[in-house]
Amino acid sequence: MKLSRNAVGWLNVVPLLAILIPFFVVPICVILAVSFMETDGFGGIFPVFTLENYTGVFTSSLTFNLYYETFKFTFLTLIFTAVIGFWIAYFLVFHVRSKILAMGLFLVCTVPFWTSNIIRMISWIPLLGKEGLINMGLQGTGAIDQPLEFLLFSPFAVVVAYVHQLTIFMIVPVFNSLSRIDKRVVEAALDAGASRLDVMRFVILPMSKSGIALGAIFVVSIVMGDFFVVKVMSGGGTASVVGAFYEDVGVLQYPSAAASAILLTIVVMLMVAAILRVVDIRKEISL
Amino acid sequence: MKTGNGDIELAGIVKSYDDGQTYAVNGINLKIPDGAYCCLLGPSGCGKSTILRMIAGHEDPTSGEIVIGGENVVGLAPVERRTAMMFQSYALFPHLSVRDNIAFALRVRGLSRSDRYRKADAMIEKVRLTELRDRLPGQLSGGQQQRVALARAAITEPRVLLLDEPLSALDEHLRIRMRTELRSMQQDLGITFIHVTHTQLEAIALADIVVVMDKGAIRQSGPAREIYSAPRDRYVAEFLGGQNVLSGRIGEINGVRATMNGALFSEVAIPLPAGKRLETGQELDIAIRRDDIELKPLSQKGMLPADSASVEGTVNGIEYQGNFVKVMLQAAGEDEFVAFVPERKFFEENLAIGEKVLAVWQISHTQVMA
Amino acid sequence: MTARIPGDSAKPASRVVRPRASGRPWTFYVLAGFFTLYLIALYGPMISIYILSFQDLKGGLVFPMRGFSLHWFHELFYQTRTGDFSGSFRRSIGLAVLVTVITVVFSFMAGLAFRKRFRGDTFVFYLMIGSLVAPGLVLGIGIGLAFTLLGLQASWYTSALGAQLSWTLPFGVLVMFAVMSRFNNQWEEAARDLGANASQRVRLVVLPILAPGLVAVALFGFTLSYDEFARTLQTAGPLNTLPLEIWSMTLNVTSPSLYSLGTVSTVVSFFIIGLSLGSIVLIQRHRTSSRRAALDVHIGEKQ
Repeated sequence: MKLSRNAVGWLNVVPLLAILIPFFVVPICVILAVSFMETDGFGGIFPVFTLENYTGVFTSSLTFNLYYETFKFTFLTLIFTAVIGFWIAYFLVFHVRSKILAMGLFLVCTVPFWTSNIIRMISWIPLLGKEGLINMGLQGTGAIDQPLEFLLFSPFAVVVAYVHQLTIFMIVPVFNSLSRIDKRVVEAALDAGASRLDVMRFVILPMSKSGIALGAIFVVSIVMGDFFVVKVMSGGGTASVVGAFYEDVGVLQYPSAAASAILLTIVVMLMVAAILRVVDIRKEISL
Repeated sequence: MKTGNGDIELAGIVKSYDDGQTYAVNGINLKIPDGAYCCLLGPSGCGKSTILRMIAGHEDPTSGEIVIGGENVVGLAPVERRTAMMFQSYALFPHLSVRDNIAFALRVRGLSRSDRYRKADAMIEKVRLTELRDRLPGQLSGGQQQRVALARAAITEPRVLLLDEPLSALDEHLRIRMRTELRSMQQDLGITFIHVTHTQLEAIALADIVVVMDKGAIRQSGPAREIYSAPRDRYVAEFLGGQNVLSGRIGEINGVRATMNGALFSEVAIPLPAGKRLETGQELDIAIRRDDIELKPLSQKGMLPADSASVEGTVNGIEYQGNFVKVMLQAAGEDEFVAFVPERKFFEENLAIGEKVLAVWQISHTQVMA
Repeated sequence: MTARIPGDSAKPASRVVRPRASGRPWTFYVLAGFFTLYLIALYGPMISIYILSFQDLKGGLVFPMRGFSLHWFHELFYQTRTGDFSGSFRRSIGLAVLVTVITVVFSFMAGLAFRKRFRGDTFVFYLMIGSLVAPGLVLGIGIGLAFTLLGLQASWYTSALGAQLSWTLPFGVLVMFAVMSRFNNQWEEAARDLGANASQRVRLVVLPILAPGLVAVALFGFTLSYDEFARTLQTAGPLNTLPLEIWSMTLNVTSPSLYSLGTVSTVVSFFIIGLSLGSIVLIQRHRTSSRRAALDVHIGEKQ
């Protein structure tokens, strides 16, 4: 008995769907449903249709501020991770001559990815704190009299922690894209009289675009969905969309929390969809 | 080792994709006798690999019958057909040793380890790989890999061995050696080989039957010599090479001969082909083998023997080939016109580019094509 | 290349890559410095907390190092004051093992499915991407709510397991795509030609050849689960996993025991990473030469 190609395909993705449907589709639907319901303000949810939760979310100036802060962090993180990730990948692909050494250095860059993000985040505390290594060092050399306050528990610390955690998401796909550039193309361009700047502009940057886009998907979705880095590293001074959502849930304001969760999910999906227009992710991965 | 009747008949084979939007194979009829070495020859995309894969059972024809040894095998699994395939890049299992690669078919049939190693070792002996039997495929040269692939396929005792571009992964030097080895292997095994290739030299060197294909259809099939020296049409002549093709119209017909006029030549005498009627004004292609052409000074124009035909041309290229010299002439408009001049003769006459010459051949050596 | 006709000054000399004595352009030195700084920033902070976790009783959260002892590790294991370290550690390992096994098996199957196109494959693919990029905490609370609605008790081995899989599976499948792209379909076809049935083809050919890739998927599955926080926070039920324990410690504990927890957790991560990379290297070394030959054949094919 020969199964059709479609049947074989579906049979093999059934286990995947058996996870994705109850643990992704259903929860999103539950939140969607709750976002249209009324509450008594004490955790009780009544199946009565209302748009109040959404009008609440859209009319609150808090929402606007939260998104402004979160977009700011997303944007800054994206810029720093892309720039750092690109140059690291470029160095490994085009400047390290030994393939084995390049692979080894690449692995050294990826190892921290497999360790805990929370630990990597808190590990900045002994460095950036008021009595941290950097302040002590600067004071020791006499560069400053007072410890720099902005280093820890500040937006600066938040960006540092994000960049520390997420640059790897840029290095890997950009490294992958750059490795695919035929070195002979670069040589041919140089032979034809192109400067190294020309090669960068017309060969290397265009080729790395898809890798940066792929990395951006991870960076955007992680930063937009984060709350614990902001909470810990900002010292409570800055809120985030998810942080506010978490506090709503903490005080049992499920429907309004659900409405803001749905808004956030839509915003993230739209951002990812926008990036996916630039890059064919399937083609990118399986080459 | 005779392993059953391996004669093959393809009857009206069609393979279409996208619900009949595109045809990979469009109506193939072909008979291959048992024990023949058959080459399917054509450019890439002509459908030759698809035919091979359909015979192997890796694809099913949209319509038509594939008959092996008198039995229609469409729908049967590859093992049930008793065919075996040798893949283009050999597809040797990278994680298995030479011995385990060759014994693979026996393993999936459930033979015990000792049984399958005994049989595999006999086969390994035959292809002279005994010292290498514990190596992984990656540690073998291209030629050794080919032998492993051949042994792995042959151990299933197939009636038909299907080879998909078996020599394309090898370098030029090795290709010629392995070509010889393939042929002697085929004679050893005494089974039908069907070999897909895009290299005409490979096909005519190896095959009992050459099948020339284009766009999913057979253009001509037959013994190598027939295909080479008597191409049926311009496509076959040009694909096989070694021929000058001239296009023109019939001028006059006089019982035993006719004359043909073309863009740059006129009144070229051609023989009247048996069993084909020519008419004045009819468009026609003829082919003349490049090694049948003799170059003479223009001054001899009036002094040619009666049984010869000729065209005038200007030499526009000379390539030294070792045992002969390839002289290219501007004589037939867009078509290339080449004479293969024996090396010694060329250097006696000392032709130069730009010189006008007379290209002469015997009328009876002309192949009149459709 | 660098030879220039004298007087040909139309193009400035700086356009030419002028090799230095060592033959490297200046950008090499700049980027090598940049790369070194990156590595220092990447590893420096982590190393500093490992060092600080070995302080003695007087130890604080910042440098300088005060004394040297295993006090804070002892505290971690034997004091309940700092939370339920042993229990959460065991649960995290157990959960990570479960997630790893399921991720490897399901990703492998999905990888097989996506090798050929099937009707609706794009839908499944984007569903997967959606699950990957959805805000973790939102998804976690959604799962928690769904469990409440169904009257089920949330626990680390049900709701948290599912929540983590909704993130590790898409990751695993993406890694599987990359792994499968190096798989030559002719291997499987050859096996079929030689009489192997579907299960023999998977068992004798596909699985052993893809083994290094599956180890990589397992590495992703284990470490992503072992460190997962956002999706687990609302789905773990009454008992904590290790990252949740660390999280509550970052909010409450101000002693170096926080760092020693980080050190222990990282040691486990490094052990897993070493184990995985080691076995990949081992399998690869066994076959290095065969890969190279496969590549040669591949190049020959293109000519």
